[in-house]
Amino acid sequence: MTASLSSDIESVLPMARQRPPAGYPIDGVTPRVAFRPETRDEVAALLQAADATGFTVAPQGSRTTLRLGRPLAAYDVALDLTGLCRVVAHEPEDLTVTVEAGMTLAALQRLLGERGQYLPVDPAPDDRVTVGGLLATARAGAWRGHLPAARDLVLGATVAMPDGALVRSGGRVVKNVSGYDLHRMHTGALGAFGVIVEASFKVAPLPAGRRSFALRCTNLEQASELAFALWDEALPLSALALLSPGAAGMAELPPDPYVLLEAMGNDAIMKRVADAVKVRAVLAHASGGIETDSQPWARLRMAAGGNDSVVLRLGVPASQVSAAIEEAEGAGCTAWGYLAAGAVLASAPTLPPEEVVRLRSYARSLGGFLQVESADASLRADVDPCGEDDALLVRALKAQFDPRGTINRGRWMEAL
Amino acid sequence: MRISLPFRQHATPRTPLVRALEAAVGSAHVLHLAEDLLAYEYDATIERRRPDAVVFPRSTEEAAACVRIANEHNVPIVPRGSGTGLAGGAVPAQGGLVVVLTRMNRILELDPRDRIAVVQPGVINLALQEACAPHGLLYAPDPSSQRICTLGGNIANNSGGPHTLAHGSTVNHVLGLEVVLPDGRVTWLGARQLDAPGVDLRGLFVGSEGTLGIVTQICVRLVRAPEAVRTMLAIFETIDEATEAVSAIIRRGIIPVALEMLDQEIIRAVEPQLHVGYPLDAGAVLLIEVEGLRETVLEDEAAVIGVCRELHAREVRTAASEDERARLWEGRKGGIGAIGAVSPNFYILDGVVPRTRLPEVMREVMRLSEAAGFRCANIFHAGDGNLHPNIMFDELEPGAIGRVLDLGGQIMRVCVDAGGSITGEHGVGLEKRSYMEWIFGPPDLEAMERVRVAFGGADRFNPCKLLPTGRGCGHAHATELLRHLETPGVYV
Ligand SMILES: Cc1cc2nc3c(=O)[nH]c(=O)nc-3n(C[C@H](O)[C@H](O)[C@H](O)COP(=O)(O)OP(=O)(O)OC[C@H]3O[C@@H](n4cnc5c(N)ncnc54)[C@H](O)[C@@H]3O)c2cc1C
Repeated sequence: MTASLSSDIESVLPMARQRPPAGYPIDGVTPRVAFRPETRDEVAALLQAADATGFTVAPQGSRTTLRLGRPLAAYDVALDLTGLCRVVAHEPEDLTVTVEAGMTLAALQRLLGERGQYLPVDPAPDDRVTVGGLLATARAGAWRGHLPAARDLVLGATVAMPDGALVRSGGRVVKNVSGYDLHRMHTGALGAFGVIVEASFKVAPLPAGRRSFALRCTNLEQASELAFALWDEALPLSALALLSPGAAGMAELPPDPYVLLEAMGNDAIMKRVADAVKVRAVLAHASGGIETDSQPWARLRMAAGGNDSVVLRLGVPASQVSAAIEEAEGAGCTAWGYLAAGAVLASAPTLPPEEVVRLRSYARSLGGFLQVESADASLRADVDPCGEDDALLVRALKAQFDPRGTINRGRWMEAL
Repeated sequence: MRISLPFRQHATPRTPLVRALEAAVGSAHVLHLAEDLLAYEYDATIERRRPDAVVFPRSTEEAAACVRIANEHNVPIVPRGSGTGLAGGAVPAQGGLVVVLTRMNRILELDPRDRIAVVQPGVINLALQEACAPHGLLYAPDPSSQRICTLGGNIANNSGGPHTLAHGSTVNHVLGLEVVLPDGRVTWLGARQLDAPGVDLRGLFVGSEGTLGIVTQICVRLVRAPEAVRTMLAIFETIDEATEAVSAIIRRGIIPVALEMLDQEIIRAVEPQLHVGYPLDAGAVLLIEVEGLRETVLEDEAAVIGVCRELHAREVRTAASEDERARLWEGRKGGIGAIGAVSPNFYILDGVVPRTRLPEVMREVMRLSEAAGFRCANIFHAGDGNLHPNIMFDELEPGAIGRVLDLGGQIMRVCVDAGGSITGEHGVGLEKRSYMEWIFGPPDLEAMERVRVAFGGADRFNPCKLLPTGRGCGHAHATELLRHLETPGVYV
């Protein structure tokens, strides 16, 4: 079986693309074969061959974010996309860039940085994620709500489909409404409908500077009021977080409730923000606007990645972020939240499914949602990790684009 | 408008479709007489076609009932807002039922603390802006038609506006949508917060031009109004110099919140009517806005003025008061309408190019217009590279319409060849379907068609829109089914 599978694919891919499957486990399952193609045509050919022979394919980039979605129902072929890492077009003067999907965010940021630009996204766990993974998981970080997310910045994409077609949507211009935005459909879809091989983004000039402040509070409620006061000031903030004492500890701050904020801009902006922070802190009796480096953000970002823990993301109204942090902490999690995105992240070493279900009903009672951002396979089998999709529509789309369930079979509990 | 149609003396008998609709929403909210249907034959474009009936639901349940009734009677369904669309999206290309959402015009929630609003689709864009203003908040997307267009129409077209440059198009501001699907089922896509879990059906739906369902409720995010705004008018001798300045501003990494261009034709149309203070002898002006903190807008303003001067601006003025600022914007927002006073007809195009290509593309646009013998007025979102050439013509001149459409095609071709797109904000609709093949290949279009099938809207839901002839159009060519507007009027 394995022999026939690899020979089927080998007939369309050069031998040299094969990799030892042991390097590609997902949820403890090792695939039968693994390939690392180097061109989009090779990706399309591999998909087509697998689809024609009934084998399942799991696309992957840097392998930092594989504990999402339902556990795979079958896993024959690992499709390693890191071989697709070329720059297709960088037009610095147009503030646009087109790259292959296996390029890491770090490499992209380096490329853009040379021209004083960046892609303003900070997905968990760090810049190791590939561009394709960034889109497929649609993870956002502390900047979300202050700056756009990947789903807002993507201008177009090319996607390899199970039938071997390479499908383009959108374009490379910053404004475009021609046809359905298929690239948006693939964003957050965990590869349900195809394998992203190339994407174009709108990029931004790098800010002149960046400063962070940590404001220590006596309780979360006070922290929340302080955060709202700062948010209402129309300051050019790039992040505004509420941290429980546990989350502060995780960020290596003293274990107290905190407001953590970051601003971007030139000296004039920084001075204004620093002054506002000081004034607000005094008014709120918080202990000082301690300036901090960017490390707490990096630590929170890593924690949101949850490599060996359970991470939940609750969507709640901004005004309920502090309450939702307390609720999640009551369930045994360490939690922190972002006002502008209405997001609370809750992390725990393990969590019983009942608690996840309970927190989901809590979030729903506030008009929100809960997504399992990272967990081991058994929890993701017991609790629907997303829970909010119109399952009928997702299935109908899956039936149109991947009728045999070739890509990531089972991720979306499609009837296959 | 010349109208010579049979009037009430030949009252059309109520068809079973009409009777069923009347039972569902009340007879006061169903139109079926020929003269009543007239107003729903067209939007702000050239094509028109008579619907069989028009219905005005008041609620989601009524909208869903209308969809089910149309399905039972086997007729096409076309959603419609205010009919300001510039791509023929709301034109019932194969007749059928037009579902007008303007009675669903309530702002259901506006929560300044959570910075969200929940509205019905018939709410006018400006009405939401006005409701937000007292709270110091903004709903960022601001199409120039904001006084009349509906938020439902904005969602369907993923509309942009002058401030899209900094804030992004409609899709970046929509959190969740309640939708009646083509089979009459009601569902929610997205959520009330950013980044709802899973497949982004919300993002797919926004910009689907009324082909995947009817939007019946919308949850949007609001942003804090800036502390300070500076609005400048930079005056140039030529379009060329103005567009060079646009590229230069972006190239320097200055991103204003709005960067609009108006050329001499527009200025000469606007000034006598609106008296906003644009100089009549200028070749082109740029309307540039920066926003932020009090201290930084002044720096940004100085940087913008510096670049404009370097690029030979004759003068750069900054609005000294809120009043002056409002006037400068009035000229921009009223600019397209003003063309109507100086030309019997005009045809508005909507191409996008990479912004650094603007100067050469604009030269080509002007050259082609001149060669075709038409005046062309330009008023557009220059900072985004989103051009709107308005071709001025008189349809009474034999063959003019054909030549105008031809010229439109040539200009679109220039945009595509420059690495751009055939529409930046108005949509593909009916009008540009054939251009889709210039930017997309058969597999791309087939994939798009599959989306339509998956949503259940393949045959009867706003047919003949967005995808090229033959796809989602019962394999008939729309222009064979449509007659062009025969009366003098404005082809906005
Ligand atoms: C003078 C003028 C200036 C303009 N300026 C701009 C501009 O700056 N930027 C810009 O982007 N556009 C602009 N437009 C175009 C137009 O105003 C927008 O496309 C607007 O969003 C259309 O809204 P509407 O309510 O008029 O929709 P309609 O014209 O009634 O419909 C437009 C499309 O939306 C669909 N639709 C409407 N309501 C719904 C619903 N509830 N559910 C599902 N589908 C629906 C229709 O089927 C159709 O396909 C301008 C138009 C004019 C006339």
